[in-house]
Amino acid sequence: MSTVKVMVVDDSPFSRTIIAEALTGEGYEVVGEADCLDELMNTYNKLRPDIVTMDIAMPGADGFECSKALRLAYPDAKIILVSSMKDEETEAEARRIGVAGYVQKPVEGESLKTVITNILSPDSLFNQLKERGFETFKEALGQNITRMIKLPAEFEPDIVSDKEYLSQGITVVVGIIGRYSGSMILDMSAETAEKLAEAVLRRPPKNNDEVLAMAAELANIVGGIACSMMNKKDKSFGLRVSPPSLFHGTPAQVVCPNLKIEGVYAKTDLGRIFLGVGFKKGSILWM
Amino acid sequence: MDVNMMNPILTAFADILPQIGFQKIEKKGVSLMGTTLTNSGVLLNIALLGQLKGIIMIGMDLESAKRFASKMMMGMEVTELDGLAQSAISEMGNMVCANACTQFSKIGLGGLDISPPTLMIGDGVQATLPVPQIIDVKFCVDGIDIQVYIGLVS
Repeated sequence: MSTVKVMVVDDSPFSRTIIAEALTGEGYEVVGEADCLDELMNTYNKLRPDIVTMDIAMPGADGFECSKALRLAYPDAKIILVSSMKDEETEAEARRIGVAGYVQKPVEGESLKTVITNILSPDSLFNQLKERGFETFKEALGQNITRMIKLPAEFEPDIVSDKEYLSQGITVVVGIIGRYSGSMILDMSAETAEKLAEAVLRRPPKNNDEVLAMAAELANIVGGIACSMMNKKDKSFGLRVSPPSLFHGTPAQVVCPNLKIEGVYAKTDLGRIFLGVGFKKGSILWM
Repeated sequence: MDVNMMNPILTAFADILPQIGFQKIEKKGVSLMGTTLTNSGVLLNIALLGQLKGIIMIGMDLESAKRFASKMMMGMEVTELDGLAQSAISEMGNMVCANACTQFSKIGLGGLDISPPTLMIGDGVQATLPVPQIIDVKFCVDGIDIQVYIGLVS
């Protein structure tokens, strides 16, 4: 295996030396250093390192701003924050930016090595989510359709797409947050939603609001149950669902940029229901 | 809904947009609306979860979206809202909402998380948010009209 190339970003020459020595001591090649945003962008572009270590407190653009700019220009950049700060908000901010790892100062070679090894290894937890996540969401949808309308749902073949999806009329989007974040889309025609609402209420819906509320509730339940099922398989997923956003009126194109959506149509006697689920890798390894 | 909840989002908007190439950020108006809004063009949806929960949406018409994406991509011509332009607009939403979480943490609402963005593209798309009321903030950014819809509850 070729040597892992690392770039060190820190405004303090002393810190850069300490971090570079710790990295070299663990067999990594320190290919470049930077002490500000401009130098970071130029040097990264020239050297394309495998890993960037990033100080948080720097004059001018701080480590968060530098990380944001780097990830905007190079979405695959793998950044390890190196800082003496370690609190809930610093962690949350790092997670939102998409930082890959975090090592607390004073830096030890061993901690850096553990985080770098983990970042560069295949992520088995994410692979598990990719392998079993979608099936779990399908299972939750199937169960709930049967429970609601007392009729079975039959699934058409799975579709994997990173293209837009054209809504059938009513789209519910549920955000998923946890160790990995993602989106769930549940979509059906207005007619199907109306029939489903009638089946659930055991009377015709009084108005469109009841129909929409049923669609939102179905999405909420399916998302919530599926996430609980995944969390039971491995509690470190820590998946939670956001309140649902409901789109209706005229059909829209639904796009989830940078997210590969696995989708399927569930066929029922009341119409077709589309389920789409996609997750994004953005795990953080803390040391 | 506490109208003060919009301030961290406005701060985030004013903080991020200059970083991605915009100079003049004007707030044109704020209004409270019910639970449903109508948008023609592009509507970006990001969910927020933690001590606050709900949805932040950013809406603009198709022409504005193309101009916005073009400006973000340093003036590159955008004749249609393709994958790259969609990705640019999503990234803006992501950055604004992530920054809003940081602003919320400064007023004691820390540890918020955001979902990946979803874009709804179409004419007359209605969006219903899971909150009693939505705050609608109109912005004009370098001559481009943008609406920010905030639907958050604690």
